[in-house]
Amino acid sequence: MLKIDDLHVAVDGKEILKGIDLHIGAGEVHAIMGPNGSGKSTLANVIAGRDGYEITAGSIRFHNNDLLEMNPEERAWAGVFLAFQYPVEIPGVNNVYLLKAGLNARRKAAGLSELDAIEFMQLVREKARLVELDDAFLSRGVNEGFSGGEKKRNEIFQMAVLEPTLAILDETDSGLDIDALRVVAKGVNALRSAERSIVMVTHYQRLLDYIEPDAVHVLADGRILKSGDKHLALELEKRGYDWVREEANV
Amino acid sequence: MSDIALVREKAWQEFEQTGLPTTRQEEWKYTSLARISSVLGEAWWKEAAASDIDQATVDAYAIPEFDAYRIVFADGRLQSVTSGFPDGVTLNSLSELLEKDTQKAATALQWNVQAPLFNAANAANSALARDGVCLCIAEGVVLDKPLYILHIASNPGATHLRHGLWLGKHAEAHVIEHYAGDSAEAGLTHAITLVHLADGASLTHDRLQTESLHQFHLGRLDVAQKRNSRFISHAAALGASLSRLDIAVALDEAGAECTLNGLYALAGRQHCDHHTQIDHIAPHCTSREHYRGILDGRAHGVFNGKVVIHKDASGTDSKQSNANLLLSDKAEIDAKPELVIDHDDVQAAHGCTVGQLDENQLFYLKSRGLSDEQARQILTRAFADTVLTGMHSSAVRRFIEQAAFAKLPGEIASEIADELNTAAVPE
Repeated sequence: MLKIDDLHVAVDGKEILKGIDLHIGAGEVHAIMGPNGSGKSTLANVIAGRDGYEITAGSIRFHNNDLLEMNPEERAWAGVFLAFQYPVEIPGVNNVYLLKAGLNARRKAAGLSELDAIEFMQLVREKARLVELDDAFLSRGVNEGFSGGEKKRNEIFQMAVLEPTLAILDETDSGLDIDALRVVAKGVNALRSAERSIVMVTHYQRLLDYIEPDAVHVLADGRILKSGDKHLALELEKRGYDWVREEANV
Repeated sequence: MSDIALVREKAWQEFEQTGLPTTRQEEWKYTSLARISSVLGEAWWKEAAASDIDQATVDAYAIPEFDAYRIVFADGRLQSVTSGFPDGVTLNSLSELLEKDTQKAATALQWNVQAPLFNAANAANSALARDGVCLCIAEGVVLDKPLYILHIASNPGATHLRHGLWLGKHAEAHVIEHYAGDSAEAGLTHAITLVHLADGASLTHDRLQTESLHQFHLGRLDVAQKRNSRFISHAAALGASLSRLDIAVALDEAGAECTLNGLYALAGRQHCDHHTQIDHIAPHCTSREHYRGILDGRAHGVFNGKVVIHKDASGTDSKQSNANLLLSDKAEIDAKPELVIDHDDVQAAHGCTVGQLDENQLFYLKSRGLSDEQARQILTRAFADTVLTGMHSSAVRRFIEQAAFAKLPGEIASEIADELNTAAVPE
């Protein structure tokens, strides 16, 4: 489904990603772990199409399309979704309105008819319950005045409504207390399916107690230094990252 | 010679001596009126020819689906007026008063030799005004529907209008002044509105300017507020090639409150200037001011918001803000908040911002599947909506929004216009 080959990315002339190879099959959940400044968020942002990154080499193919040739909204229409590390507050733009516009744009791109207001509200209510988001949040401005935990739940709620085929969760667990983490994890697990791939970018093994990954990758110094299964995450939790670096001779 | 004839003569002398303000005057530093006389000629003040417009034309300019008492002027002359006002409400046109009751015109429109002329441009209005609205509401009377004053400019030349809105104690009203037109020839609309609010009176005032992009527009709104009165103003400046609106509010007695909200949406080479002054004269008065501007193309905006807290105005509570969104790197804004404080026991805050659309917000919206154009429109609209949310009439608000967004790049779909912010969760 997602094939990243030899991806090199620079910001302001400085190379951040130095040759990433990552293949993710349909229905798989991959965790990308690594220390601060290793390039994890850069990778998430490049997949979603944020400006300000220079792709100096390599390719990203998604369902056999060249993702790098698509602008952010085209990626969204194709089924890519980024849960932001820092969700943006947009006062004056209604949360539900944003979702309706986004969902209908995607349906239109797929040749489907737009949902009518009643169908849409049924869908929204059902998904809001999934992440235990109160109905009152739906009609508020996007993330306006939300707490950190509410913002993260709102990201998962949006993901549930938009039903992407590739979801990238960029440090969705950071800043969450244990209850909020459980709610978010429940939401993510409910969305696991044979057609949907999920990439979780995280610092901590903690999230993986709740969402069990099919594969774990260690990203450090702009490269994937080691890949393994969920046991790798436990080992990282115990031993830190330095041994991986030493093993890889970086 | 009647009082009014005397005032006219004095005002004309004043105007002839002083002429139009120039950019050498601090208050007019960024707005040159030289273009008025260069386009309209030395006798720029000469009246536009009368025009007779039909109902279809009026309907084409008027705010749709708006239930209100309506009084229509065409090129400065009374065209039609609805009837059926409740007891205690008198509405006269100025032309009618000038024939029948000059004393009332002199009082209600502050047309006496002591009344200030403000400046030479306004002096011309005092000398030449021939029509307008005189609304008087008796003590305790509530005007049951809004009063909608519509002016349509069609012919070249000048129009001098003068309105007086007098609310007795605890009277209430909602008045909309709307200046419209789409003539291909330049003209000047010059309208002065004088508002007097007695104790406990409450006036909601909307001022819409959607004139032709060839028109010049000068406006003045002068408000005197007595004890515990309330004044809520929304001013939307969308049309005209060059426009200037002066608003002056005097909080004369304790407990008076005013809110001044405004939106200017400019494109092309439009020039638009707002000068507001709020005088906190008495103690324990409250003022709120919030103006926002959206500027595209080579538009030039000016905002000068002055708040003066006089020496007896203890317990003053004043907040003012002005925010500007520049959609083009050739657009320009000169914004200046001014706060003059002659008293210690006050709360006053003011702020001013100029910026572009937020890249993070744009990316967020696009990552959810909104197109670049759609994302820009939504953010622009959300920016403007902040100053319109408190408007009393949704018909007026919708009209302003549609007029404002129609002129910005990529006309906003009316579907979006209807849904945003009002997408309440149906039960």
